[in-house]
Amino acid sequence: MTGYAADHTYDAIVVGTGISGGWAAKELTEHGLKTLVLDRGRMVRHGDYPTALLNPWELPYGGRPTTEDIRHQPVAARTGYVHAQESKHWFVDELDNPYTEKQRFDWVRGYHVGGRSITWGRQSYRWSQMDFEANARDGVAVDWPIRYADLAPWYDHVERFIGVSGSTEGLQQLPDGKFLPPMELNCVEKQFKQSVADKFGRALIIGRAAHLTAPLAHSPQRGTCQYRNMCIRGCPFGAYFSSNSSTLPAAEKTGNMTLRPNSIVYELIHAGKEERARGVRVLDAETGVQTDYFARVIFLCASTFGSTFILLNSTSDRFPNGFGNDSGELGCNVMDHHLDVGASARVEGFEDRYYSGRRPNGFYIPRFRNIGKDKRDYLRGFGYQGRAMRSEWPSLVSDEALGAELKRKATTPGPWHIGMGGFGEMLPHHDNRVTLDHSRKDKFGLPVLAFDAVLRDNEYRMRKDMANDAAEMLTAAGFRDVRSSDHVPGVGLAIHEMGAARMGRDSKTSVLNAWNQVHACKNVYVTDGACMVSSACQNPSLTYMALTARAANHAVAELKRMNL
Amino acid sequence: MMNRREVLQQVAFLMGGAVSAYSILGIEKGYCASPSASARTSVFDASQAQLVTKVVDVIIPRTDTPGASDVGVPGFIDLMLGDVYTKKDLDRYLAGLAEFTAAARSEGQPGLAALVKKYHDAAVVEERRQRRGADGHRQRPFILMTKELTLLGFFTSQVGATQVLQYAAVPGSFHACIPLTQAGNGKSWAVEPGIEF
Repeated sequence: MTGYAADHTYDAIVVGTGISGGWAAKELTEHGLKTLVLDRGRMVRHGDYPTALLNPWELPYGGRPTTEDIRHQPVAARTGYVHAQESKHWFVDELDNPYTEKQRFDWVRGYHVGGRSITWGRQSYRWSQMDFEANARDGVAVDWPIRYADLAPWYDHVERFIGVSGSTEGLQQLPDGKFLPPMELNCVEKQFKQSVADKFGRALIIGRAAHLTAPLAHSPQRGTCQYRNMCIRGCPFGAYFSSNSSTLPAAEKTGNMTLRPNSIVYELIHAGKEERARGVRVLDAETGVQTDYFARVIFLCASTFGSTFILLNSTSDRFPNGFGNDSGELGCNVMDHHLDVGASARVEGFEDRYYSGRRPNGFYIPRFRNIGKDKRDYLRGFGYQGRAMRSEWPSLVSDEALGAELKRKATTPGPWHIGMGGFGEMLPHHDNRVTLDHSRKDKFGLPVLAFDAVLRDNEYRMRKDMANDAAEMLTAAGFRDVRSSDHVPGVGLAIHEMGAARMGRDSKTSVLNAWNQVHACKNVYVTDGACMVSSACQNPSLTYMALTARAANHAVAELKRMNL
Repeated sequence: MMNRREVLQQVAFLMGGAVSAYSILGIEKGYCASPSASARTSVFDASQAQLVTKVVDVIIPRTDTPGASDVGVPGFIDLMLGDVYTKKDLDRYLAGLAEFTAAARSEGQPGLAALVKKYHDAAVVEERRQRRGADGHRQRPFILMTKELTLLGFFTSQVGATQVLQYAAVPGSFHACIPLTQAGNGKSWAVEPGIEF
C-alpha cells in the first residue's frame, strides 16, 4: 500500500483484480498511466497460497469441509468442490456477504487480490464469428456491436502473454489461437476421438488450457506445469495464468501501479449533468473509513455482478435507476452456462496402460449442433468437457472386497472409465435479472443483490441433446454401462455469469458501446462478464481478457486524443 | 491452531484423566486431522471406540504394510463424525453401531470378522441394487459409512498414500499412456487426476 497520491488523483482507476482487472492494470500501466488498482478483499501476492504444497495427509478431515465450513459457505457447497479444505479460503464467507435469491442462484465469489483468477478452470477458448453474429441472425436480444475480426488481434495478444496450451485444429466454430504445445490425450481418449470422428464427423481435442507447457520469456517468474493438478490452491510455480502470477507482476514492474486491497468500491462519483464519472467512493473493509479517489478513466472489472452492483448503487438525478442506465437494461439479460448434464461409461481393455503425472486438463468436444445443415428444435449449442481415467480406491466402497483383498485391489489400478459433461449456451432474456435489495444489508451496511434468473425452454430442450448425444457417442465407441444424467443446476453454477450491463449499438437498448464504454459516460469502461451480449458455449474468461485489453488500449488512445 | 498434543491434553483434562476414547482411537499414532477450533470431546465412548477399531482393522488389516488402526483411522472417523457429518448422519451411524454391537454380542459369536463380512456383503448388494434405480443421495448404512471413512482416512494418510499406494507430490511431467509397469512402481496413484473445470 505505497504511493498514495496526496490528492487521491490518478490517471486511471481499475476496480477489481481478477481475470479482467489484472489485464486492465497491466495494459494501462504499461502505457504509462498512473493507475490505482482497487480490490475489495485481502492482499494475495504470488506465492501466498497457504495450501499449495500440502500433502493429502496434511489437509484436515481428509480434505472434506466440516459442517461449520458449510454453514459459512452454503452456496459454494452447491458446487460440490470449492469449499474443500484445500480451497475454501478462496471463497467468501456468505454470512458476511449475503444476497437474495428470488430464484435459486449459485453466486460463487472470491474476494481477495486475484479474485477467481486463482481458482478458475483455465479452459481458454476463442469465440467465433458465428457466436458474435448469433443474436442478429436469430433475432434474439440485441446484436453484438463487434465481430470476430475486432477481437482476433486481442486474442492473439492475450494468448501470447498468458500462455495457452492447445492444438491447432482449423475448426470454424472454435478458431485456433497462438498455442503452446498441447497436453496429451490418453489411450482411451484417443480411441474415443477416433470413434467420434469416424461415426459422427465430430471433433474431440485436448482442452485448450492456460498452462505453460513451455517457458514464457516475458514472464520469468512463471514456470512450466508440474502436473500436480492442485491448481485450485494457487500454483507456486506460476504455471497456470492468474492475475497474481502474471498480469499484476507485469503492472507492478512498470512502477505505475498503486494496488490497494481491502477497498470496497460502492459508488461512482458523478455530478450534475456531467458526461463523465469523476472517481469512485471506497469503503475500507478493515477500518470502515470512506475515501474518494479520482481519475480521468475508470475501469470496472469487479466481476459481472460486482460491477453491476456498483452501477446500480450509483444513483443521481441524472441516473435515478443506476449509473448509465438510460436503457433500463442494467441488471437484465443475466446469463451463465448450463451444465451438470452428460454421460459416463466403463471402458474394457487397456488394463496394462496407465499414466504418470496428473494432467490438469481434459478433452473437449467443440459445438456441433446447429452448425451447417444441422438444425435442432432449439437455438445455439453446447460443448463437452470430459476425461478418461482409471478407477481408484474411492470406487471400492461398494466393491465386494474386504480386508487384505480390499488392500490388494486398491493397490492395483481399477478399470478405465470415461465421462463428459456439457456446457450449454444460455440465451439472454430481459427478465433474467439482478436488482438491489435495500431491505437487506451486508456487514458493511450496503444493500445486497437480489437474483431472479431461470433456465428457460431453449435451455431445457438443449439439455435433452446434451444428455443423449453424450450417451450416443459413448455407446457408439463400444464403451459399456453407458449412463446419462441430467441434474438441472441453479443459474450461476457454471461460474460463468455474464450479462447485466450489455454492450450494443444503441444506447436505448444497451449499457455499453462497442468499446465497453458506458454510452452516457465514456470515461467509464466495464470489461468483465457484465458486458456480454450473448453467452456462446465456450468458457468465457479468454474473451473477457481480450475485450479488456482492447478496451484499455482504446482508453489510452482516447486519452491521448483528449477525448476522455 | 492447536497442535495435537495440546488437544490431547485438553481432552484428558475434560475427561478427568480417565482412559479416554482418544487414546483408544489412536490419535497419538498420528492422524493429522486435528480439530481446528477448541478441544472437542470424542464422539465415541471407550467401548464404541474399541469396537470401531476392531471393525476398521477387519476392513483394512495389517499385512506386510500397516493397517487402518496403525495409522489412526479410528480417531479420524471420530473426528469426521463429530465435525464433518451432520447430526442426522451421526445419529444414523451411532444407531447402526449400536445395532451392530448388539449383534456382535448375541449372534453365537461367529467372530467379529465374519460379522463385519456379513453386514458388509449385504450392504454392498443393497447399494448396488439401489444404484440401478435412481442415482440420488445414498444413505449408507453403518458398515459402509465405516468402510468409506476407513478408505478415506487410510489412503489420505502418509502411510496409505506412500507405502500402500504411490504418491508423487510434484510429478514434474505427464505421460498420458504408458505401460503400467513403467508408471512409477506400477501401483495405483494415491491422488486421482480428478475432474476440475
